[in-house]
Amino acid sequence: MEVLSPYKEATEVIIEAGGEPLRLCYQCGICTGTCPWNLVRGFIVRRIIHEAQLGATDFGNEEVWLCATCRACVQRCPRGVEIIDVMRAMRRAVVSLGIGIVPDALRISAKNIAGAGNPLGEAPEKRGDWAKDLGLKKFSPGTEILYFPCCVPAYDPDVKVVSRATATILSELGVDFGILGSEERCCGEAIRKAGYEDTFHSLAQSNINAFSSNDVKTVVVSSPHCYHTFKNEYPELGGEFQVIHITQYLAQLIDQGRLKFSKEINKRVIYSDPCYLGRHNGIYDEPRRVLQSISGLELIEFPDPREDSLCCGGGGGRIWMETVKGERFSDIRVEQALEKGADIIAVACPYCFLNYRDSVLTMDKAEVIEVKDVSELVAEAM
Amino acid sequence: MEEVKIGVYVCHCGLNIAGTVDVEEVAKYAATLPSVVVSRDYRYMCSDPGQDLIKNDIKEYVLNRVVVASCSPRMHEPTFRNACQEGGLNPYLYEHANIREHCSWVHDDKKINTEKTKDLVRAAVKRVYHHEPLEVKEAPVNPNVLVVGGGIAGIQAALDIANGEKRVYLVEREPSIGGHMIQLDRTFPTLDCSECILTPKMADVGHHPFIELLAYSEVEEVSGSIGQFKVKVRKKARHIDESKCVGCGICEEKCPWKVPSAFEMGLAMRKAIYIPFAQAIPNLVTVDPDLCVYIQSNGKKCGACIKFCEAKAITPETLLNQTDQIIELEVGSIIVATGYDQFDPSVIPQYGYGKYDNVLTGLQFERMTCAAGPTGGKVLLKDGREPESVAIIHCVGSRDQNYHEYCSRVCCMYGLKYAHLIKEFTKADVYEFYIDMRCFGEGYEEFYKRLSEEGANFIRGKVAKVTDQAVTEEEKGKLIVVAEDTLLGRLIRVPADMVILCAALEARADADKVASLFTLNRRADGFFLERHVKLDPVATPTDGVFIAGCCEGPRDIPDTVAQASAAAAKALSLISKGKITLESAIASVDETRCIGCGRCEEICTFHAPKVISKNGVMVSEVNETLCKGCGACAVVCSTGAMLIRHYKPEQILSQVAALTEVL
Amino acid sequence: MAEFEPQIIAFTCNWCTYAAADLAGTSRIHYPANVRIVRVMCSGMVNPMYVFKAFESGADGVIVAGCNYTDCHYIDGPVKCDAMFARLKKMVHVLGLEEERLRREMISTSEGVIFARVVEEMVEQLKKLGPSPFKIKMETLA
Repeated sequence: MEVLSPYKEATEVIIEAGGEPLRLCYQCGICTGTCPWNLVRGFIVRRIIHEAQLGATDFGNEEVWLCATCRACVQRCPRGVEIIDVMRAMRRAVVSLGIGIVPDALRISAKNIAGAGNPLGEAPEKRGDWAKDLGLKKFSPGTEILYFPCCVPAYDPDVKVVSRATATILSELGVDFGILGSEERCCGEAIRKAGYEDTFHSLAQSNINAFSSNDVKTVVVSSPHCYHTFKNEYPELGGEFQVIHITQYLAQLIDQGRLKFSKEINKRVIYSDPCYLGRHNGIYDEPRRVLQSISGLELIEFPDPREDSLCCGGGGGRIWMETVKGERFSDIRVEQALEKGADIIAVACPYCFLNYRDSVLTMDKAEVIEVKDVSELVAEAM
Repeated sequence: MEEVKIGVYVCHCGLNIAGTVDVEEVAKYAATLPSVVVSRDYRYMCSDPGQDLIKNDIKEYVLNRVVVASCSPRMHEPTFRNACQEGGLNPYLYEHANIREHCSWVHDDKKINTEKTKDLVRAAVKRVYHHEPLEVKEAPVNPNVLVVGGGIAGIQAALDIANGEKRVYLVEREPSIGGHMIQLDRTFPTLDCSECILTPKMADVGHHPFIELLAYSEVEEVSGSIGQFKVKVRKKARHIDESKCVGCGICEEKCPWKVPSAFEMGLAMRKAIYIPFAQAIPNLVTVDPDLCVYIQSNGKKCGACIKFCEAKAITPETLLNQTDQIIELEVGSIIVATGYDQFDPSVIPQYGYGKYDNVLTGLQFERMTCAAGPTGGKVLLKDGREPESVAIIHCVGSRDQNYHEYCSRVCCMYGLKYAHLIKEFTKADVYEFYIDMRCFGEGYEEFYKRLSEEGANFIRGKVAKVTDQAVTEEEKGKLIVVAEDTLLGRLIRVPADMVILCAALEARADADKVASLFTLNRRADGFFLERHVKLDPVATPTDGVFIAGCCEGPRDIPDTVAQASAAAAKALSLISKGKITLESAIASVDETRCIGCGRCEEICTFHAPKVISKNGVMVSEVNETLCKGCGACAVVCSTGAMLIRHYKPEQILSQVAALTEVL
Repeated sequence: MAEFEPQIIAFTCNWCTYAAADLAGTSRIHYPANVRIVRVMCSGMVNPMYVFKAFESGADGVIVAGCNYTDCHYIDGPVKCDAMFARLKKMVHVLGLEEERLRREMISTSEGVIFARVVEEMVEQLKKLGPSPFKIKMETLA
């Protein structure tokens, strides 16, 4: 029989990489029971933490890369273990020490981000192309608001609708805003969770420099991932500015009476809480308020809404990695939406957008259900 | 003035101090300070030989001031004051420097610690220089005791004191005494019936010549201090003539108005006029004025109870005009035994309490298995069926920093008891979901083994959720309990008909009010704080106020009873001694400075200072039995006439200046 | 040059904050050694004169700490302390001291950890502020 002896050095590697919270775990297993992976395959989160406690971690195992950082487990953990930090620490150890294998897809995305400032490897100078025909102004000191679409809405041909809809709304309402175009870099949230700490720091520094040289005070973002890192991680690196998610901003505009709707959308819309807007940052009500303000629109809820919302599977760098058919959370989500009789899945995150759109297509449901960003719906109803 | 001669003693406390402070160097340093005539370091100053050092030096060096640098004064200041007194010195000519809790235990650099210790010793020396002898006065102790709370803790404490033939006032806010224990069906691990063992004690309380039971009453105000508390109790109107009611219950039978019964945990209804349970003490009915239609309609509607009461205990007069009474008591000590609340599990959304009918709390299940309870002792689902499978979830709201971080101590055991009762009453399978089994008491581990023999299933894992979303045929129509079986390292889904939540015990919702009423402190977890967690577990920082039972934290019945008896013993020993030492460090007035402005009188919470005319001059005078020595009056005194003995400006200022003195 | 080590005087009430500092001790919670505690019976006993004396004698910061409103041994000492502290805050300006050198805390008996944290925070803050202007004046005079 193979006998285990504790291997302190491995534990220390993880702790040094930021895995300190693992010491608190008392092995109750509520994380495993809460983790969405266990809806589709076994992923014993508790055991991973215990292995880390004893230095028995298998850095070569694909489990190191599974966590989608959705925070469902952390929210329930009775000891307050920041499980995401532990998962990230293991990835950091692999990335920085080369003690395991980084999945190919992730490695390529990471390389693109480090080189071109976006995961798709597109040319940095084309970052503002999505707005070419919209007549937007470049942000300059004195402009009130910076709109920061980030990578997917800036480059992805299908997701550009999100950034374009947002810019259209803001322009039509006469909001004083601008974009940074090629000066913008990926916010770095996801690549940091994937273990690439250095890449994150250089991206963050580059964005912070661009913001401060342009005297940016308020940033409106489309992605909850940008929101999260700008709000909770950039300040430690010297990035001091106000960040607002587009759904919050739209809700504000409605409250102020500036945003009014003239068209009806007579559809059943089901709203999917993004992990990084909901569980990570506690924003649940504003997106719903925006949708409810659109006349004709019937807002319905998933079986587990808000705090219990199921992840689309795209966080923590998973968006760049292949998830085999049968293991995609977004497929479950689309099925739930269909069962509830929804016509549209409303999203507020580019990763959710990508994953649900893929699921709808691969499940061959494009004719019965659509995926739309909240901003798209708003633009349509104006 | 006689020449000041100070003795300084620096304690090693084994290595507790000497390990991180160079005590010898500190003692040498102290010897160089003005007026210090002897300075020593010693391994354990609190030991007899340590105290003898002080006593001998007082004689040999004619010391008239003493400083000991050791642990916290809250620990040993009385010890060394006593040693001074035995050596022939007034105990107030002593000063204590706390170099253990405030230095050697909290900082690790020996060099820095030694310097800080020197500062603390120097400041104590400078301060003691200004100390004055104070007269120690005594006061008598009122031999009556107030016990607050009529659960098992209060009942036990009241009986112990009353059996010693001392008068007890037992105040209970509910219509009957009995507390949570009378709601329980059986008690672990012996399974004796809770009612059977508690009701004889309740009856004893009811007719004990030395107990005055004030049920359906609440303490409103407490003043005074140890030995002489004054207490105001509000005796709530029951809206009946208590002297006539025989507790026959006919009124309750005839009353047509109902609400869910709190005693039955909402599983049954009670009437607007009610006796909460059959064995209630006192055996009197109580009218719920918010529900009584006669009262609400101002006598225009209903009145069934009046018609049927043969004893004429209920009349229009009692229903409409009876009001609360305020009763004033004088007691020498107080025992607070106000118990706990059951944690409300509806705040944990994933366990479905309040959402699914057959998710119950522990106390609801207790009522269900009780023969006199709402189901007549049957374990039944909402639809009247018997369950085929029951899940018992441990640590609901306990051991979870999202709710309560502490372990509630009794849940493992009552969870096992439920498993046994389910096995006894039904054919259902039982699944205990636990994180750790904590079976520490007498016969507890054996009970755990017994349940293993009886066939309970044990799954180690904190439940992630209870859901009705079935994924297999077998799960349909059931509640599914989802957890990781952490011993298997696999996710497990257990279909169950009934789920029992072992909800935490938490501090009473109004614990803050009770705390300020009796000047108690609360821990971060909300429960009342004992004076010393190990060595003084029933006393509180307020002299003469004791605590017992679950108001101090979750505990089982044996521990509660032991603690209640301990609190009773404390109260009895106080009565037996018959006197207490009064605080000497209280306010005094320098009449040559006082201008009689009355600011002191205005600010004092205890009405101690009063401006009076003395030989035609207005001056403040302090009533020494009322003054507590808080010092608020001295702060507002504009002429510096008001002084707190032992905390005079020169004493504190010299200490402050010495602490920051640059060497 | 050695790093500036601020001196802090903490006036703590006997019943709560002094006991909290004791608890930090028995629980071996480490914190910087820069603080010196003066035990008073009640936070409401602290005379502004004591605080000035501390600054005058060279303290870089002063903490006045006692019970919460609900667990005062003398019923309403913290309220009285608040009133005194409000007056004190106005006066320190006049003396040319920064407001941050003065801290009012309510730390109950069971909060040893909080006591330690308050000391840590205060030390950090005072290191940023530098030595008390009083102290500097005294040194130049000497």
